Amino acid sequence: MKDYLISQYIDNELDLDEKITFVETVNEDRHFTDEAVALLRQEKQLRTELAFPLPALPQLHRAVRTPPLNWLALWFKPLAGFAAGAVVVILLALFRPGVPPVPQGEPHRFVVYLPENTQARILGTFTNWQPVPMEPVGSSGYWTLTLRVPEGEHRYSYLVEEDRLIADPTVMTREQDDFGGENSVIEVRGLAI
Amino acid sequence: MDTFRKFYTDNGTRLLGYLLRKSGNYHLAADLMQETFVRYLERYRNQGLSVALLFTIGRNVFYDHVRRQRESVALDESFASLADDQEQLYIIKEDMRRLLEAMRQLDDDDRDILSLVVSSGLSYREIGALRGCSEGNVKVRVHRARQKLRQLLPAESL
Repeated sequence: MKDYLISQYIDNELDLDEKITFVETVNEDRHFTDEAVALLRQEKQLRTELAFPLPALPQLHRAVRTPPLNWLALWFKPLAGFAAGAVVVILLALFRPGVPPVPQGEPHRFVVYLPENTQARILGTFTNWQPVPMEPVGSSGYWTLTLRVPEGEHRYSYLVEEDRLIADPTVMTREQDDFGGENSVIEVRGLAI
Repeated sequence: MDTFRKFYTDNGTRLLGYLLRKSGNYHLAADLMQETFVRYLERYRNQGLSVALLFTIGRNVFYDHVRRQRESVALDESFASLADDQEQLYIIKEDMRRLLEAMRQLDDDDRDILSLVVSSGLSYREIGALRGCSEGNVKVRVHRARQKLRQLLPAESL
């Protein structure tokens, strides 16, 4: 039974009583000592520092949020062809040709000052957490984008580098995420622009 | 996000080491390591940052890969590529290669527990929780795995 003590010794898992037993056994049992030394040498090789290049951090902004799985879409996918046809008929009945349906949500203008940046993107609940490029306002350092945002509470961040997210500096209400970052929280009601 | 980046830097190499010891293939281990971090963010970000959770996910990612590949590529074949891949020969030093080849001959359970103990820095108790067995069971199994590995390595290499 005592031979487990060798692995516990290697893995720093011995309590004080076991340490006493270990030392006494090393003194008394040559075979135990030889095995301990052999396994320690083996462990040195096993734990050789792996001089491997650590691959780059994955493109985390794509993993920041996963859009919820659209179960309805999965269920009704086989019917999509028929549904699309029906939608076209209904739309033709409701709207004159050439008049596009109005997108849902109120227009909301997002502005952020990032004079050093060559690009800026926004992502949030209203973009399904997919980054959407913003437009520079001349050479002022401001970036802006107007999006239609459905009424209700929304969370968002600006993606200012490849994988660096910041909250909107002009919005005081924020929510801590679990990874040290913050999302801005806004409540959209009525016309917001 | 900076916190997660630090978590990645602090634990990426250890997780890579675990997956390499389990798979014997550097490139596969690197891919699975990255997949593990992405899965962590996608599914478990609300549970905070935990090394035990990271290794649990990494272990599941590995077995998911094995299940996906089972019909086309046997696990042994991914090990067999070790000696043929020139880049791996450059990256992985001779001593470690000999060890990986010996570990390949262990059964998966022994290889898994030994890789976890050596790579993760987790305690026997944490590893027991991760594998769904008792702390005492980890103690016994890891020692048996070390003894089996010793039998597989040439005496002069120790």
